Amino acid sequence: MNPVLLIAIPLLFAFLSIMNKKFARPLLLVALLLDVYLVFTISKGLYSIGGFSQYGINLLVDQYSLIGLMVVNVVFFLTVVTNCKEVKRLSTVLLVALAGVNGLLLTNDLFNLFVFLEIVGISAYLITSGNKRPLATFNYLVQGTVGSGLYLLGLILLYSMTGTLNMALILPTIVDKAIPLSNLALPFMLMFIGLGVEAKLLPFNSWVKGVLQNANALTSVLIAGVFATTIALTFGRLLSTVFVLGSISNIVLVILAVTMLAGEVAAFASKRIREVLLFSAIAQSGLIILLFANGLVIPAIMLIIANIVSKYILFTITGKMVDGTKTDEIESLQGVFSKNKLVGFAFTVASLSVIGLPLFFGFIVKLNILTSLFSQYQLFLSALILVVSLIEGTYFVKLLIKLWYSVGEVKTFKVDALVKVVTLIFALGLIVFGVYTKPLTDSLMTVPEEMMEAIAERGNF
Amino acid sequence: MFSIELVVLSTLLAGVLAYIVSIKLPKLGSYLTILASLAVFSVLAYFGFNNNLDAEVNLIPQFVLFKTSMFGLYFAIIVSFIFFMVSFFNPYFIKDYKYPAAYNLFYLMALAGTIGVFFASNFITLFIFFEIVVWTSMFLIPLGKKRKPTVTYFVFSTVGSFAMLYAVMFTFSITGSFDLAAISVLSGKSALLVYILLAVAGFAKLGAYPFYVWLPKVLGKSPDPVSAVFSGGIEKLGAFIAFMAILRISPASIYLEAVGMYLQNYVIAIFGAITIVVGTLQAIRQDDAKKLLAYSSASNGGYILVAIAMSSSISLTGAMYHILAHALASTAAFLAIAVVHYRTKTTKISELGGMIHHMPLTYMVYLMAIISMAGIPPMGGFISKWLIFQAVINKQMIIVAVATFFGSIGSFLYVFRPLAALFLGQKLPKYKGVKEAPFLMMIPLIILTLGSFYIGVIPNQVIDFSNKVIAEFGFGPLLMNEFGIQGANGTLSAPIIASVFGLGVVVIAIIFFILPKSRKVGLMDTYTSGEFIYTEELLHYSADFYAPFERLYPAKPLISKVYAMIKEKVNELGRFFKYWFFTNKPEVTVLWIVLILTLLVWGDIL
Amino acid sequence: MIQYASIILIMLGLYGLLTNRNVIKIIISLNVFEIGLNLFIISVGYVDGGLAPILTGNSTSVLSFVDPLPHALVLTSIVIGVGTTALGLAFAKKIYAKYGTYEIDEMGVE
Repeated sequence: MNPVLLIAIPLLFAFLSIMNKKFARPLLLVALLLDVYLVFTISKGLYSIGGFSQYGINLLVDQYSLIGLMVVNVVFFLTVVTNCKEVKRLSTVLLVALAGVNGLLLTNDLFNLFVFLEIVGISAYLITSGNKRPLATFNYLVQGTVGSGLYLLGLILLYSMTGTLNMALILPTIVDKAIPLSNLALPFMLMFIGLGVEAKLLPFNSWVKGVLQNANALTSVLIAGVFATTIALTFGRLLSTVFVLGSISNIVLVILAVTMLAGEVAAFASKRIREVLLFSAIAQSGLIILLFANGLVIPAIMLIIANIVSKYILFTITGKMVDGTKTDEIESLQGVFSKNKLVGFAFTVASLSVIGLPLFFGFIVKLNILTSLFSQYQLFLSALILVVSLIEGTYFVKLLIKLWYSVGEVKTFKVDALVKVVTLIFALGLIVFGVYTKPLTDSLMTVPEEMMEAIAERGNF
Repeated sequence: MFSIELVVLSTLLAGVLAYIVSIKLPKLGSYLTILASLAVFSVLAYFGFNNNLDAEVNLIPQFVLFKTSMFGLYFAIIVSFIFFMVSFFNPYFIKDYKYPAAYNLFYLMALAGTIGVFFASNFITLFIFFEIVVWTSMFLIPLGKKRKPTVTYFVFSTVGSFAMLYAVMFTFSITGSFDLAAISVLSGKSALLVYILLAVAGFAKLGAYPFYVWLPKVLGKSPDPVSAVFSGGIEKLGAFIAFMAILRISPASIYLEAVGMYLQNYVIAIFGAITIVVGTLQAIRQDDAKKLLAYSSASNGGYILVAIAMSSSISLTGAMYHILAHALASTAAFLAIAVVHYRTKTTKISELGGMIHHMPLTYMVYLMAIISMAGIPPMGGFISKWLIFQAVINKQMIIVAVATFFGSIGSFLYVFRPLAALFLGQKLPKYKGVKEAPFLMMIPLIILTLGSFYIGVIPNQVIDFSNKVIAEFGFGPLLMNEFGIQGANGTLSAPIIASVFGLGVVVIAIIFFILPKSRKVGLMDTYTSGEFIYTEELLHYSADFYAPFERLYPAKPLISKVYAMIKEKVNELGRFFKYWFFTNKPEVTVLWIVLILTLLVWGDIL
Repeated sequence: MIQYASIILIMLGLYGLLTNRNVIKIIISLNVFEIGLNLFIISVGYVDGGLAPILTGNSTSVLSFVDPLPHALVLTSIVIGVGTTALGLAFAKKIYAKYGTYEIDEMGVE
């Protein structure tokens, strides 16, 4: 089965859905189901579109993109299913977004990546326009456009130096032509900034607050869960197989470290639940990219998976909660879980996993991260990670205690059975993987090798 | 043979079972916690004493490894015993909790976690169970009325456990092993770093200076059984870590000739001394009986640290003994207060009085417990303090010695206060119908008191055991014969002291019975300045009990201001980032992009 | 030469984004930025005196062709640019409908 179908089917359906609005939602569901089915059946390999081998666009299906596709498509599907009401107006946009997301994960071509980045970006702008905060969305649009513009500039500079856009060929060409590192600093920095805007890295992420602090369950899960995961994985592939950070690695590390710290302390200082979660999401993405920048692919993927699952739970429940209670001030939400114990359980498990406490998946991830960092003798970074996760733990515990224990009147909210079931299953998944991780670690074991093989095998074209 | 793995797992399972049961029948679930903790204690004690515990791991996957050691067994038996004793109180308190099912679950999970810590064979296992204890016990705290201490507890515990994690990972990066023995291989500066970090972990968990501020908050505000478990059980994890850090690591350091010990040990001893003094001073001025005991717990932690830091056979035996004696005594004291709280709904000393008339047994239990905590014979606390004093004097550590004696005298001041005002003192009319503790509550009270008494009279078995423990750290046994312990400058014969005491009691009893009985009058039958008193609450004499003394030092520990400041700084930093980076202004992002690019290009040209 | 011109355009665009507080002007600045970018892309493929990259029968050296790839890329990039501009204008209209002004400072939001 050709992976291009993962992109083509949603796009085709998107066109069809414009013709008849009535079928938009069924088409979206069908496309999602087809994609989920395809993801679990496609086989690994390098697929060149149109038979141009390395001159054309290639789609790469390896363990890395396969894991990404599975996670993203499943979560995308569940997000749509659990937010049926809000989806209606957005079906076409979501179809386009699905195509873009799959494209980003599959593509092996820098320019193609730019195109998908824009597709995802534009659909993200449209999705967030549902928040009725046009200024925030506009702000997002401007920053996103500048970001992808810079990415484009960077990739053109890179192209003029290496003469190829194929991601697998860039690194070998750099080595072959012996291009000096100082020349590469600018293009890589530009591309880093460009992706950094979408990946919510610190000085480039002023859009996040405006967009996410007013988002409903659908928007926030899509932006902070699905898109963030996709961008992080894309970023990860570039950082581990394309970028030569060299002289800019210090700037990059500072940006990432500051992102992490700023996200956590800003969350610590926030009084609204959505703000807390969005700042925490920023910090997490900082950490993910930091791991990729240090070449720690396996812990990074584990963190991404833990992240998308817990973000799904946290944002979905928060979205429903805010819908039901009409407030997102933590002070006025006190004790809400005492009336919604199951939902509260899922929320608690997700936050404990984010904090990284044992018996939950987040703990395994944290242990993995620290072990890998220490085996690189990164003493300062690991100390920083511990400090920020202390801050993170503090505000999450504070939040949990407030949400479980009431002072005075308790607000109530209703949650569909479906949302309950899905969040509970995810929560149980976090516990199961927290206790028994072997299947996951086994399947991740080969990822870095395969990524490097793609580069080494360029002679096969 | 019985495997540790099975103990831990079945405790966890029992927790889940108790949870399921208590969704419908919370009380039944709490009886399950009694059974489960009894099972854990008896299995550990029976198989442990017979050297029959099996450390093999078959069911838990990955890197969890156990081993048996006398050291771990000593702690495990004490702590599981405390959990067992306290569990008798669960059925009475369960109905006050907001989430009773969760209480039963977390109670047993915390027990399982502590067992795991004590039998861990590598640091990863240790850390996993340590963290399990942290978060499960954390959720026990807010079940009462107050929820703020939860966060305080989490922060301090996590500071400790992250310090430990860093130490563990650092050791791993150098030695490539997570084994507990790996820290002994370290040398030089890296050993010093690990030493400091592990000491921080121990300090944080034990509640030693400067981390002691969580103890009064948590122990003072948690549900009563939880306070007892914390003080007698979970806090001892800190002592466990401190033991390992101080005795297993030998960093390069200066040897202090004057006291015959290394600088880092001396620093620890000084911190221990500060803990003793600060804890005692704060305990003296508390009006809340639980907070008072909490500060006393902190100061007793100081004794343990001082004893470990001195690292000699006597001092280590003293530390081991003190751990046991304090666990028994403080649990008994907390439980006694819990009974008062259960019956009267308050723990404020100034609101209580004359409880001896209502609950004489509880009074006796409390009396014995504080006698032990103050180090008066014939209770367990006396022997441990005697050993520690011996060691301190022997090492000629003057500052520390002054602190330890001060703490001992000071403890008379503070333990006397609840005794005088809460149990003795005037009987207040509003507690007229208050009854003695229910039967089930009496069981642990009596057992704990007898235990405390027993180890105060016949120390031989405990010292036998602790000799085996300190032998694992490479120290020779403490000499003793049938009747006495051989100290540095004298022999202590506990049975003789006890019998002298007993004689005294007999004599007093005889005098008491021979002398004519005093006439009993009603408590309202009193007057002052020629007027009868009708509002005697106003004349309660425990208000401002030690007023002249209390004026000498501030009410709030100074260090808590520092913590408040740190919190405020983090908040400020957060607001700073929010203000400067997260605005609805696209130009902010563009500005940063331009700045970074300029920096880059400029830097390249230069 | 054309590269300097395009870089100046990019910088102008960024300067416009930095200094303007008007929604429409911001969109125009974005456009200037994108035009600079597109020009830059084309300039990368430029070969002095090069031929159009069309395979005729004549034996011309491959090196004398102009690089065709940037031209292909720039087409896509222009299309995307148009799309974003249109979307931006649509949002501008929404902003105007909500606040009655294009000046961000006058909207009175945080």
